[in-house]
Amino acid sequence: MPVWHASTRKLVTDGKLVVLGVTQEQHSERCRLFAQWKGFDWPILHDPINVLGSSAVPIVLALDEHGIVRSTRPNPKTIAADFVDETFRDDATNKPVAPTPAHPPKFDELRAAAERGKTVAVWRQHADALALWGGEKRLADAVAAYREAVRLDPKDGPAWFRLGVCLRARSETIARESDDFRTAVASWGTALDLDPNQYIWRRRIQQYGPRLDKPYPFYDWVPDAEAAIRKRGETPVALPVRPDGSEIASPTKAFPATKDNPTNPDPNGKVNRDKGSVTCEVVVVPAAVKAGESARVHLTFRLAPKTADHWNNEAESLRVWVDPTEGIAVSDRQVEAEKPKAATSAETRTVGFEVQVPKAATGTVRVPVYALYHLCDDAGGTCRFVRLDATVEVRVK
Amino acid sequence: MTRSILTVAAVLSAGGTGLAAGYAPAVGTRHPDFTLPSIADGKPVSLSDFRGKKVLLIQFASW
Repeated sequence: MPVWHASTRKLVTDGKLVVLGVTQEQHSERCRLFAQWKGFDWPILHDPINVLGSSAVPIVLALDEHGIVRSTRPNPKTIAADFVDETFRDDATNKPVAPTPAHPPKFDELRAAAERGKTVAVWRQHADALALWGGEKRLADAVAAYREAVRLDPKDGPAWFRLGVCLRARSETIARESDDFRTAVASWGTALDLDPNQYIWRRRIQQYGPRLDKPYPFYDWVPDAEAAIRKRGETPVALPVRPDGSEIASPTKAFPATKDNPTNPDPNGKVNRDKGSVTCEVVVVPAAVKAGESARVHLTFRLAPKTADHWNNEAESLRVWVDPTEGIAVSDRQVEAEKPKAATSAETRTVGFEVQVPKAATGTVRVPVYALYHLCDDAGGTCRFVRLDATVEVRVK
Repeated sequence: MTRSILTVAAVLSAGGTGLAAGYAPAVGTRHPDFTLPSIADGKPVSLSDFRGKKVLLIQFASW
């Protein structure tokens, strides 16, 4: 898009052309940061659920003064003469229609229409309004409406994709339900199985997926953007959810071999088990792989809501030991979470690694893992070193 | 971004509510209207807000 920004600046300044962007990303703030970095000063709209129905990006269209498509492949070098300086007649065969999804949304009316209509189209319409205009507080309603849509038509790919978008969004809020991220990935997988040519949907899985299946590192540019913006004396757009792990990992053409040979830190299981202070969410992306393929494992550790503990950062950070059986390749045997500089903290900690299932694998491939971490009790000040076991299950198609 | 997929399928999959079932913006047809939130402030912006002006509509992602 920078090429278009440069080639249209004068036309926009002279009032001859409007540049209107639409981004299909899950997180609008990341696109805002990108636009700030690149100096895009034109309006950009957020379409996280892909209501436009585009299958891939970028798409650049030249629309005349009547909203009629005049070029699907405009040329940045000749757009002024080819398009901007031309005058067009309103000769389209189709008439203008009302904006959709409509705004302001009438949630109650849409809900009533959905309950009356009992079709996937009206439930999707209700869900789309909630997803786009309802904010965090209506995410649960959007999820419920999309679930009704896919119940009515399990082959409705857009509804499955949008269900995944809302579940992933909710997983990043305090209203999250324990299985939101995993269910989001499963929903995206169902959508893509229904339409393997939908690259907007495919990219959403790849964003969180293994390096072998990545077309590029999605958000590796973020630190460069922030540094460049600060160097200009500006404050970068704040990112409520910072990209890390799989979202910044570079693609690879071969499954990476384990670099070193670390020693199992608790081979005999003698470290005391954690008794409910920390929960571990295991999400595998994609939800299912073919034999011989790889998957990204996301492990998310959260202090339990009612616990009186916090992370003890004066000791080593949380680390995870990965213990695959023979024939299963993993990218790392041991991974360590980042920790803040403060002596104690209570943030969510994430680590990730990748698993390549054997070429002859069927059913479910299981990889045992365990985490070791230091906690301190807020009330008594007692600190302890504990272990939490989990099993990663990779489903083979 | 050069690393993004450049291909737009001739017939695109079923689109969003009210938009054409297949998003295939053909030359000579009026683009379907849509309303989406601005990334700047979340306020609604419609394509039809710009009727009477020439518009370069760019669908893209930062990656």
